[in-house]
Amino acid sequence: MNYLYFWYLDFLSKHNIPEIVGDITFPILPFCIIAVAIILCVLFLVLLERKILALFTQRKGPNRVGLWGLLQTCADAIKLLTKQNVDVKGCDKFLFNVAPVLVFVPAMLLWGLIPYSAEFEFMGFSISILLFVAISALPVIGIILAGYASNNKFSLIGAIRSGAQVISYELPMTFVILSVVLQASSMNLKDIVLAQISVPSIGGWFIFTNFIGFIVMLICAIAEINRCPFDLPEAESELVAGYNTEYSGMRFALFFLGEYTMLFVMCLFLATIFLGGYLPLTGKYISEMLFTNSEFLQVFIYFEQAIWLFLKTMVLVILLMLIRATYPRLNISSLMNFSWKVLLPLSIFNFMIIAIIKYFVDGGAL
Amino acid sequence: MIKIKSILKKIFALILGLLTVFKHAFKARVTGEYPEDKVSLPKTFRGKHNWNASKCIGCKICVKSCPAGAISIEKSEANSSFRIDMNKCIFCGNCMYYCPKSAISMTDEYELATDKKENLIFEINSLNSSADSNIIKDE
Repeated sequence: MNYLYFWYLDFLSKHNIPEIVGDITFPILPFCIIAVAIILCVLFLVLLERKILALFTQRKGPNRVGLWGLLQTCADAIKLLTKQNVDVKGCDKFLFNVAPVLVFVPAMLLWGLIPYSAEFEFMGFSISILLFVAISALPVIGIILAGYASNNKFSLIGAIRSGAQVISYELPMTFVILSVVLQASSMNLKDIVLAQISVPSIGGWFIFTNFIGFIVMLICAIAEINRCPFDLPEAESELVAGYNTEYSGMRFALFFLGEYTMLFVMCLFLATIFLGGYLPLTGKYISEMLFTNSEFLQVFIYFEQAIWLFLKTMVLVILLMLIRATYPRLNISSLMNFSWKVLLPLSIFNFMIIAIIKYFVDGGAL
Repeated sequence: MIKIKSILKKIFALILGLLTVFKHAFKARVTGEYPEDKVSLPKTFRGKHNWNASKCIGCKICVKSCPAGAISIEKSEANSSFRIDMNKCIFCGNCMYYCPKSAISMTDEYELATDKKENLIFEINSLNSSADSNIIKDE
């Protein structure tokens, strides 16, 4: 971050702008970047999801608007923006308006915690993984408020289901994250990435040393972002659309944005703590081989790190889409049973195993 | 031990399901882009009607056999015409099968959608028709 900060101040001083302006505007920049990135990312993800689901079901997917249907999601977004915001009779107006924001803002905040490359992370806290767990549980408040404020039984049932689901899947997830923290001996996401460096390029990734944890975490991540096969809160065939039944126009678009942002940021998080984050797959950075000039290297290495992280994330996103295309929706009782009777004991068992291994590998010193 | 075996079996089934779905990504698409590339029709497809005035003897078996009552026919020395109401027609093909001189045939044309009901009443007139009896839209 320091490197970018000085580069930014240099850029301003060249144009005769005082340093204090740079100091004030620099913390605002990340949020502008995130806001633009989220919109682009969600537009891309929705199109990708539709295309990939079409691929797995032997269809063609959107192919009318623009080249190969690339502008389909833009057209959908424009349609949503120009639609009427319908106010439901008997709804709690304040909570009804606030709920979509409460779903979207935490998802947006999570983007800032991920280390995209060695020098580029928006909010570098020493306990960023703890903050991630705390913030990623917040959207459920928005969902419950949406269900309560809508004055609609479908919305309320969907919201209650979501609440139960998130609470029961948060626990195994936290235990897995604890085991990762134990492995890396740090709560900082960047240190966790650095702890995965090893001599054979991918041998140090936590997916290999903590495989049960990765599987449990993947299942919990799917449940946490309410996706198939855990999409009970918005089960179309039972609850119309769940908690967002009464929402339309821009408010619905915010729910939609929040959902896909959470999908992407969860995959980013999984890639960071299990797949080596921004570390390269090849063991050595490609830009290190290409550019001998140190000035070029300094810039391109960060871009390359971000590209590695993005590629790993895309693999996970496509895996989640494959899972959505394959498995049917769970029953609500079996969903609860699965979490409390299978995942929670498994994650605690995994945590204990990791602790014992860590104790002996580090020679009895913790 | 048996329980562990059954659990492993279930996990294997889950992974097998994922692989099966993944295989479909490399198979041929079953849907087409309709207006650009059309599906090839079967030989016995029943589309819009065609009527040959020179073959027709005016027996009106087609009028009687039509379950929807969509056909009306006029046969005289001077002028004969075949009138079919596509609003009523169910494309059963009875008129074609029962015609003793096989004067009625059915073409491959199926894109008949219009915004007016009147546009779907077709009339084939022997005076206007050439040898291959073209179909003229009723005004």
